[in-house]
Amino acid sequence: MSRDTADPGSIAREPGSVTGDSAGATDTPSGDHAGDPRPATYYHLARAVLYREFLIFVRYPANAVGGIVVALFFFGVLFYGGQLLAGQALADSLEGIITGYFLWTLSVGAYSSVSNDIGSEVQWGTLERHITTPFGFAPVALLKGVAKVVRTFLTSAIVLAFMLILTGTRLSLDPITVISIAGLAIVSVLGLGFAAGGITVLYKRIGNWLNLLQFGFIVLISAPVFELPWTRVLPLAHGSALLQRAMVDGVRLWEFGLAELALLVGVAIGYLFGGYLVFHYATRRARRLGVLGDY
Amino acid sequence: MTGPESVFTTPSESSNSAGVTGPPALAIEGVSKRFGSGDDAVLAVDDVSLTVERGSIVGLLGPNGAGKTTLIKCALGIVLPDAGSVRVFGTDVSGSGRRAAYADVDAMLEGARNDYWRLTVRENLRYFATISGVDPNSVADRHDRLLERLDLADKADMAVRDLSRGMKGKVSLASVLAGGAELVFLDEPTLGLDVEGSRTLRRELRRLAVEEGLTVIVSSHDMTTIEAVCDRVVMMASGRIVADDTVTALLSAADRDAVRVTSADIDERLLSTLAQRFDLRAVETDGPRTIVEVGVVGDQLYELMDTLREAAVTIEDVHTVQPDLEDVFMSVTGVETDAIGGIDGRTAGHESMPTPVGDAGGQPS
Repeated sequence: MSRDTADPGSIAREPGSVTGDSAGATDTPSGDHAGDPRPATYYHLARAVLYREFLIFVRYPANAVGGIVVALFFFGVLFYGGQLLAGQALADSLEGIITGYFLWTLSVGAYSSVSNDIGSEVQWGTLERHITTPFGFAPVALLKGVAKVVRTFLTSAIVLAFMLILTGTRLSLDPITVISIAGLAIVSVLGLGFAAGGITVLYKRIGNWLNLLQFGFIVLISAPVFELPWTRVLPLAHGSALLQRAMVDGVRLWEFGLAELALLVGVAIGYLFGGYLVFHYATRRARRLGVLGDY
Repeated sequence: MTGPESVFTTPSESSNSAGVTGPPALAIEGVSKRFGSGDDAVLAVDDVSLTVERGSIVGLLGPNGAGKTTLIKCALGIVLPDAGSVRVFGTDVSGSGRRAAYADVDAMLEGARNDYWRLTVRENLRYFATISGVDPNSVADRHDRLLERLDLADKADMAVRDLSRGMKGKVSLASVLAGGAELVFLDEPTLGLDVEGSRTLRRELRRLAVEEGLTVIVSSHDMTTIEAVCDRVVMMASGRIVADDTVTALLSAADRDAVRVTSADIDERLLSTLAQRFDLRAVETDGPRTIVEVGVVGDQLYELMDTLREAAVTIEDVHTVQPDLEDVFMSVTGVETDAIGGIDGRTAGHESMPTPVGDAGGQPS
């Protein structure tokens, strides 16, 4: 029996490992192995992970709706409170605030969904099944992260639309530019989410403490990248600056400098990779200590 | 090969029928695992070696803390052993072939849901089949049959969270079997189930395992589950294997046959006589009645009855007491299981037949 992967995109199982039983014969009228289990490819894996996320999203919308309501409530406090306190000064910087708030909701959504998801998987006893998958945990985790980002984009887009209507503000919303820049910006946050998830696996009930990091995103999003260029290598900071130019100034994706985009991609990949490494070593440490899955 | 009701079949089975021998389903060599350090260190698994051939159903029996779960987690690579090696179908799970080995293995771990309660039963099966490396569309009909076997067909499109606890246990089992794994670990599969749910799961588990030719390793401290499901029993205590044989052989070797006699006529003098002449194992009182358990070998049963008749004892009740796995466990370890966490199911393990006896001469019927 072959148990090696036939190719990087598929998990090999023994051809013909399932014989045609009476019911299976219906599936294999010509005696071939059309009714046999076929190996799943990364396509099947992606579809399964994304579909699961979609099902939970549409079947249990309360969480998503709750997130939107909370985000809008905080923005309302920020907007109306700011009007009372700062008046015209707030109006002058409103476009920037909305853009920054949009990126913050994206970041919080991506970070908390990934780190909380890992914590939930630990609690449910399903994390082990994702670690003992023949695909390896990395692609599964990455796809779960992508699913979380897609979901977060949907909810944050709704928040953005409400903010624009509420304030009567207009922003440049070129979909390709906004999705590319914001997407790459929050990939770095995904990395932080994986790292936090890894620490949760190791130390268990510290999720609430790790969620405090979300407020640190405000600092990163408003980092003074022009005065302190080194801050561009921090998560979100450079992406936030580019997103401000895209949404406030109307700069399109292809109008950014190559170096700026390369830095955005580099920071995204760097933090994602770093976060995954932390997760990998945390789970390995948990396996060594025998606490993986113990909750 | 498999019968017409087969859900999944296995290469191992076809190999066996063809007379081709492959590597064992599981080969554990000298595995040890210690948790903690210093005075607080616990040696959970102590130099354990175990080979499980393809198609066998093996029970891991032992009290809480015996090392069963740790051994299973070591076999799965979820816990990294300090020493030793684990091979699944010949592939070292700690090596580069770990991922490939996982294509043939799945596990239902103690106390865990193992699936998503917010998804339906069928969605869980499809998801975990994919995660296990199988295109779910290619096994959809087999999933249907699996659900029918486990009486879940009419619940297939219900969210798992809406099912009873027993049903959830079955869904866990179904999701583990959904990917067609050849080697399945079930750690305390009946934990938390009521009597009926536990009985159903045992029955279906045994049936599925035999019909599908799966290699199943069941860990439990419930000996009823082990006796009902397994062909072979590996007993663990304090991290070590203390017995490893078929259920029948272990029970035969226990040498614990005894009778329990209940009578109101058993006095101190008779007890003294019984203790001198027989293996008097236990004496209990129940109101005016005294219950004695006496070990008997060969013709000693007749001698015992003669002794009771000579003492003018009117027997109210006599039971034959046959050994169960707990007795075997106690005999091989010399440890009372109650003292170290207990093995459940003693009562169920005793299949003695009550033998009502009249008072005419005190003769057993």
